[in-house]
Amino acid sequence: MHAPPFSIFSAISELFVTAGVLYIIRRNWTRRTFSLAVFLAVALFEALVNVMYMARRSAEAASGAQAIAPGLRVFFALHGMLSLLAYLVFVIFGVLAYQEQRAGRFWFRDRPGVTWTFLVAWMISVISGEVLFAVRYLLP
Amino acid sequence: MTARRAAEHPRARRLRAPLLITLWVLFTIEAVGGLVIFFARLAWGVAPGETLHVVCGVALTLAYLIYQTRHWLRVAPPRARLDYALGIIAALAMIAANGFGLMLGVIWWRARTDPAGGAGIHYPPLLSAMHNIASLLVITFVLAHLGAVLARDRAPGGPPSET
Repeated sequence: MHAPPFSIFSAISELFVTAGVLYIIRRNWTRRTFSLAVFLAVALFEALVNVMYMARRSAEAASGAQAIAPGLRVFFALHGMLSLLAYLVFVIFGVLAYQEQRAGRFWFRDRPGVTWTFLVAWMISVISGEVLFAVRYLLP
Repeated sequence: MTARRAAEHPRARRLRAPLLITLWVLFTIEAVGGLVIFFARLAWGVAPGETLHVVCGVALTLAYLIYQTRHWLRVAPPRARLDYALGIIAALAMIAANGFGLMLGVIWWRARTDPAGGAGIHYPPLLSAMHNIASLLVITFVLAHLGAVLARDRAPGGPPSET
């Protein structure tokens, strides 16, 4: 199946967003200044482009307009749910990290268990999105 | 009023106000119910708890209108602070989520009251997507706003007096 241009854009940009997320956490982990500009750019871009794209595709899939295998639908739903929650948690953690750093504390560094759990969830969300893209558009 | 209660920060009292508690209960029902509907519609083409979601959505809109008006009158004018910025984003997202949700509710109502109905309700994908994304932003930025305010309270120097 031919991949729509916006699907390709979203699949590639998601990797850059992930790089931004890792950059923010890495800086906090190594006790360096929280980059509010990068955080806001990543959070807004992810919401207005990638999450919006995912919500639109989900709504189209849910409308029944496209023929999608039942197994793929469940996988799509799981990916959609995880993506929404991962984004939600990222923004909340980012805000808390920003606030804590102003008081001289490093939120992610001080909570390694929470940080690693979030990173694993985020990576599963991104990888499952790339797998969906490959299954839907790249595999014969 | 006891001395302990009199010494309590006004925010602690506001967080226990009946209107805010009502709002939190409706908000939780809508958030959890919305996520369940999102997942089930996509995975199996069904919408469990749709009626509850619509009814509580209308109640949430009304309670939110009252709460937001009072809240704004207390905290206005806007200030250049992160908690304000997050609160304004949350308010705009809430207006969008409720607005799109009510439009979906009208479609739901018409389908339910149509004597010729019976087949599944067809929601426009774009409208559905706008409601979903706005709702996600509401959950995200309401929690981030609350987190920022509470984190500010814990900062050295303690909470500011009224905002």
